[in-house]
Amino acid sequence: MKLRLTFLFFLLALIGRSASVPSKDLLGIAPQDEIYYKASSSGTIKCRDGSMKFTKSQLNDDFCDCPDGTDEPGTSACPNGKFYCRNAGHAPLSIYSSRVNDGICDCCDGSDEYNGNVKCSNTCWEAGKFAREKLKKKIATYQEGVTLRKKEIEQAKLTIAKDEAELSKLKNEEKILKELVQQLKEHKEQIEKAEEKERLQKEKEETEKKEAEEAQREKSKSMEEVPSQGQPMESENHDKIGLLENSPSDQDMGEQSTDNSGNEDVSNNEEQEDDAKKEEESPVAYESGPDSVSKEPKSLSKEELGRLVASRWTGENTGEQTREVDAVKDDKPEISKAPTDAHDEEYEGYDSEDESQRYNDDDDEEEERTEDFGQENHDDFSSSYKSVSDDELNLSDVTASSSPSWLEKIQQTVRKILQAVNLFQTPVDLSEAAHVRKEYDDSSSKLSKIQSRISSLTKKLNHDFGPEKEFYSFYDKCFEIKQNKYVYKICPFKQASQEEGRSTTRLGNWDKFEDSYKVMLFSNGDKCWNGPDRSLKVKLRCGLKNEATDVDEPSRCEYEALLSTPVLCVEEKLKELQDKLDLMNKEQPQGHDEL
Amino acid sequence: MRSVSLYHHLLCFSLLLATHLTSVSSWKRDEFRNCNQTPFCKRARSRKPGSCSLIAADVSISDGDLTAKLIPPNPENPEDHSPINPLILTISVYQDGVLRLKIDEDPSFDPPKKRFEVPDVIVPEFLEKKLWLQRLSEEVIGTDSGPSSVVYLLDEYEAVLRHDPFEVFVRGKGGKRVLSLNSNGLFDFEQLRVKKEGEDWEERFRGHTDTRPYGPQSISFDVSFYGADFVYGIPEHATSLALKPTSGPGVEESEPYRLFNLDVFEYIHESPFGIYGSIPVMISHGKARGTSGFFWLNAAEMQIDVLGSGWDAESGIALPSDQSRIDTLWMSEAGVVDAFFFVGPGPKDVVRQYTSVTGTPAMPQFFATAYHQCRWNYRDEEDVAQVDLKFDEHDIPYDVLWLDIEHTDGKRYFTWDRVLFPHPEEMQNKLAAKGRHMVTIVDPHIKRDESFHLHKEATQKGYYVKDVTGKDYDGWCWPGSSSYPDMLNPEIRSWWADKFLLENYVGSTPSLYIWNDMNEPSVFNGPEVTMPRDALHIGGVEHRELHNAYGYYFHMATADGLVKRGDGKVRPFVLSRAIFPGSQRHGAIWTGDNTAEWEQLRVSVPMILTLGLTGITFSGADVGGFFGNPGPELLVRWYQLGAYYPFFRAHAHHDTKRREPWLFGERNTELMKEAIHIRYALLPYFYTLFREANTTGVPVMRPLWMEFPADEATFSNDEAFMVGSSLLVQGVFTERAKHASVYLPSGQSWYYLNSGTAYKGGRTHKMEVSEESIPAFQRAGTIIPRKDRFRRSSTQMENDPYTLVIALNSTQEAEGELYIDDGKSFEFAKGAYIHRRFVFSNGKLTSSNMSPSASGKSRFSCDCVIERIILLGYSPGPKSALIEPANQKAEIELGPLYLRNGRSPTVVTIRKPNVRIADNWTIQVL
Repeated sequence: MKLRLTFLFFLLALIGRSASVPSKDLLGIAPQDEIYYKASSSGTIKCRDGSMKFTKSQLNDDFCDCPDGTDEPGTSACPNGKFYCRNAGHAPLSIYSSRVNDGICDCCDGSDEYNGNVKCSNTCWEAGKFAREKLKKKIATYQEGVTLRKKEIEQAKLTIAKDEAELSKLKNEEKILKELVQQLKEHKEQIEKAEEKERLQKEKEETEKKEAEEAQREKSKSMEEVPSQGQPMESENHDKIGLLENSPSDQDMGEQSTDNSGNEDVSNNEEQEDDAKKEEESPVAYESGPDSVSKEPKSLSKEELGRLVASRWTGENTGEQTREVDAVKDDKPEISKAPTDAHDEEYEGYDSEDESQRYNDDDDEEEERTEDFGQENHDDFSSSYKSVSDDELNLSDVTASSSPSWLEKIQQTVRKILQAVNLFQTPVDLSEAAHVRKEYDDSSSKLSKIQSRISSLTKKLNHDFGPEKEFYSFYDKCFEIKQNKYVYKICPFKQASQEEGRSTTRLGNWDKFEDSYKVMLFSNGDKCWNGPDRSLKVKLRCGLKNEATDVDEPSRCEYEALLSTPVLCVEEKLKELQDKLDLMNKEQPQGHDEL
Repeated sequence: MRSVSLYHHLLCFSLLLATHLTSVSSWKRDEFRNCNQTPFCKRARSRKPGSCSLIAADVSISDGDLTAKLIPPNPENPEDHSPINPLILTISVYQDGVLRLKIDEDPSFDPPKKRFEVPDVIVPEFLEKKLWLQRLSEEVIGTDSGPSSVVYLLDEYEAVLRHDPFEVFVRGKGGKRVLSLNSNGLFDFEQLRVKKEGEDWEERFRGHTDTRPYGPQSISFDVSFYGADFVYGIPEHATSLALKPTSGPGVEESEPYRLFNLDVFEYIHESPFGIYGSIPVMISHGKARGTSGFFWLNAAEMQIDVLGSGWDAESGIALPSDQSRIDTLWMSEAGVVDAFFFVGPGPKDVVRQYTSVTGTPAMPQFFATAYHQCRWNYRDEEDVAQVDLKFDEHDIPYDVLWLDIEHTDGKRYFTWDRVLFPHPEEMQNKLAAKGRHMVTIVDPHIKRDESFHLHKEATQKGYYVKDVTGKDYDGWCWPGSSSYPDMLNPEIRSWWADKFLLENYVGSTPSLYIWNDMNEPSVFNGPEVTMPRDALHIGGVEHRELHNAYGYYFHMATADGLVKRGDGKVRPFVLSRAIFPGSQRHGAIWTGDNTAEWEQLRVSVPMILTLGLTGITFSGADVGGFFGNPGPELLVRWYQLGAYYPFFRAHAHHDTKRREPWLFGERNTELMKEAIHIRYALLPYFYTLFREANTTGVPVMRPLWMEFPADEATFSNDEAFMVGSSLLVQGVFTERAKHASVYLPSGQSWYYLNSGTAYKGGRTHKMEVSEESIPAFQRAGTIIPRKDRFRRSSTQMENDPYTLVIALNSTQEAEGELYIDDGKSFEFAKGAYIHRRFVFSNGKLTSSNMSPSASGKSRFSCDCVIERIILLGYSPGPKSALIEPANQKAEIELGPLYLRNGRSPTVVTIRKPNVRIADNWTIQVL
């Protein structure tokens, strides 16, 4: 009892001294909660979790009665409690009760340290001033940002409407064109049938004529080929998948050779290490006992052995130069390991072959980037991405002219053909036949372009662009961050990558939004040696420009970046910030003179 | 802006991934020598019982010791080993039942080299405990034909040297044997000699050649433990607590237990192979006779066979057969016989006797007994700040943040990567402002870089270990080409220690402590990933002779450095991976690079228990498992178990996913936080136990049989353990476990910590387990001090009030202790501490002083009070208690058992007695 009284006196003394500390009963209680502690008339108060009751005298008596901490808002007695500091002049703060009287000043008004062990000066006014300034700036940004955001949403609506209109128009055209192509096809087949018949009849005669005919056919065929090159034909797509299965290793080998060419030393080490790795992987080398013993020094110098053993822990080369190197290189053992499981020999042949090939491919790639997008893609994903631009470019002759005439023209032409060509005329009019074929090829090429455009538009429109479609414009945007020797590219809804010179590491494919559209997630990137698949989290912030910054790799192969954009400047948040500022301005410290 | 990636395809990646999984490599057995590839081991193992025929001659007392010469029965006609000079045998006796047996070559025959005796392991105080033998009696034992010499050892114990064939043993009451050496006649001592023409002494292993300039010099002998049901000890191995036989009928072909400090990549969870540490101490325990122990002080490679019963069926040697017995075979590559016999008879007696030789565990700083957060690597200052902040955001206490090798400038220890860590002092000070500490890693390999001052200095002073040709040994480790300071040399140790002075270690502050890794030593391109055996240390000592102690000396030098830094006033904290007898004096150790697997969680218990039995109590396993990614359930279970490890640290390999406690969803965060809270609540109890270890050697974490030596059901239990004498903890080692079988030792009942409910002892209970905790029990009759308020770190808990949990036994009695000091300095050694004894009986709790009154010049005071006393097993009824001498009343009510969220069972609670911990008082329940 005595002790409790002493404590009370002590508190009273403190209260007398400092205006910012409320009475013992109210210590650590937020104003809105005061009513809870006053409410009961029976003299007891319930623990919030309903587990027990306590008397008024047990409130803040430095003994925990409620496991949830209800009875000790102002002391450290309950581990689960919260202590409220008013922080007049700054923002109020609710801190863990573990911070109360722990000798560290947590509240700027110092109210959390009242047992006299440590003196906390009231820094709320200064801190508050600074915080208010910061808050004001933030509010200004938000105010402007909110406007930009609205524009963005309007723009998005327009674009979506436009895209949807285009889509429905295309679908319409597709329908018509399909029919025409079908008609032309039938017509063409009839002609060909007739030609075949004619050919059989006249097989033995008029050899010269026939030769001429042949020549003519050749000619028309070569004409066919030119436009069809850039067409994503179904059959080609299948082939593509077959090709692709080799591509990651191509890529890896390419990466390696790229690195090698960059640094002579490193490349030597790596090659040696590769050899060492193979030596290690091959069961013969290790298990055959005495035989392998004598072999070992031949294949491994002491240094190589050191590096090799170190690499088990690190998964990388331990050499000085390489240890300081990046995540891409960390992958080296993966590269050297992966194929060893299969066929060493094959791997070796492969190696040199692919290296040169890769260089060529690389050049191609460069050209593509700088010149145009006409080439066929090998990658499913980027193809779909590029197909947007592809189609935009290639369709420009048809769609961009936007006059409805192109379709009508075709329709007319087809009609003419169908009327003009006399199927039963013998011999078949060669120029007419060629005309039909060409018309068929043109139309079906156009059809497939339209279909491809439809599919990419559909794909685009199926994405989740946020509740107000506010991210719509991001679909065609990529963001770049340069950091040291890396360039990070973030293409929302598509993919993210890290580029170093010629080598590209995929950080992930578009996955989804997280955290109510505050985070973009790219996942299933390139595999890390001994680690997870790479992934990238892009945290979105309100800002006036669309700008990506601060790439980081907090955990191995798990990347994070910041992207500021007006799209995140939501009105509710602005209001919240304004309220906060109002509150801060309202709660000026009464006794700012304490110091 | 258009990123074109032509060559990637998801499908292909999953294909690639699949090939990777199959190529993940793990521990490579072939890289390490087995017994058959180790000539001395192979030879010793193939010897037949009774092949030693040496005779003890010229037995006498000299300088207080019993001495004798070991000679062949017929010196004119030497058998297998020629020429054989006499060996000198010395038996010394020390207080408290310790017998020391030394056997070495006779210097008067001028052997080519003095054999190595391990210095600086035996504590000087031990030597002062020597009993000067005066008398020697002779008797003929049993049916022996010749005499035996007998000297007094302790009370009813005597040491006996049988002459022909020579045998040394300890006998107790009624002549019953306790321990013996060479009873099976397997003793062999390869004497140093000059190489004969055409002889090849070199040994080759996997491309490495050991020149072995001194030829074969191994020693082997058999040791028998009488009245033993099991033998334990000889860490460090990842295996069961009770050692399985490695040879004998019905034993699957097995390697001997190997003691050779090695950096084994991804060690496996059940194996006799050697890993990071070597402590050649074996302890036997049996219902019939109790406990005894054997220690061979020898730092060369050792191999030990535990021989299954019946192994000697054909030998024809008749040992006393009325006693159950376990025979063991000890083999070492070099050195001398310097062996110690400990008579027990209780488990704690043996530990006390052993630690009287090599020293008791150092008293750690208080913070070091709390939770440590580590990862390879916290990348930069921002990362450090973020992790620190997250602990605060989640209100999870932690005390130490660790930096692994990447914090250095190119793996040059004592330096900082100035890009990642531009302001190391500021970073440490920020942590220190919250009462937290930092640990950086300092390994023994020094980068061979002319511009690195440490390397330059070590080279100039000739401080490096030399290779066989006399040049500085050049090995490969993290920094690439590296050399290793010769830590055997006290001068070099002192030089090394100075490097830790604040003025020498740039960027260090007084709140920075040290971690010694790779000190086996690990050499990536060395034979078996370590230093060649023919490398040379001071005085021409070969590395083979001291290998197992290299890390010990390194650890010692580092700890000395921190003591120097604190001007002799501040206790050091150094974590080491390599271990040798005596390591307990220098700091903590951990079980190295384990893996995130359930079986590795399981094996951590016998590994830590074994270390504790052999003096090393401040040890733990990496919580979560170093390699690999633990699933949330495994991680949570690891925290729940790890909270009871003496050394509680989470650590992870740098290729693993981040796994700080808040990264696995709210529920798992809550569970891990709860586990950490349990540790913090029990810190006063743990610290009291560390003090007990510091004074008696008895470990903090104990096998059940140490507390219940008569309860046979506990002898091979290594899934449960005791923390002190009051807490029993049962690990949960399987995924999605719904139940756990818990054996509660007989004699008392046990209070389940979660509910306060009593369970009967002497039986196995099938307990339901939830995700919330692993089963833990307080033994009836004990009092545990707790602190139920949590802070950012243990530092802020200093003045917080205590809770006493009194678990009453059947006679409504209980007792317990509490030790407190300043948690930091060496003043406690001068008496500056509070040590209280709490006794509850007849409804009255009494606090009395346990420290010798007014003995020390230095005093420690504390104003802490007891805020809550919980009575388990007390029927509610009384409403108040009377506190004397203050003559105050305190209320008694039903209060929560734990102050955690959710419903807590209610227990009888004395509310706010607020008695000072430092005072004498009584509290009478009215």
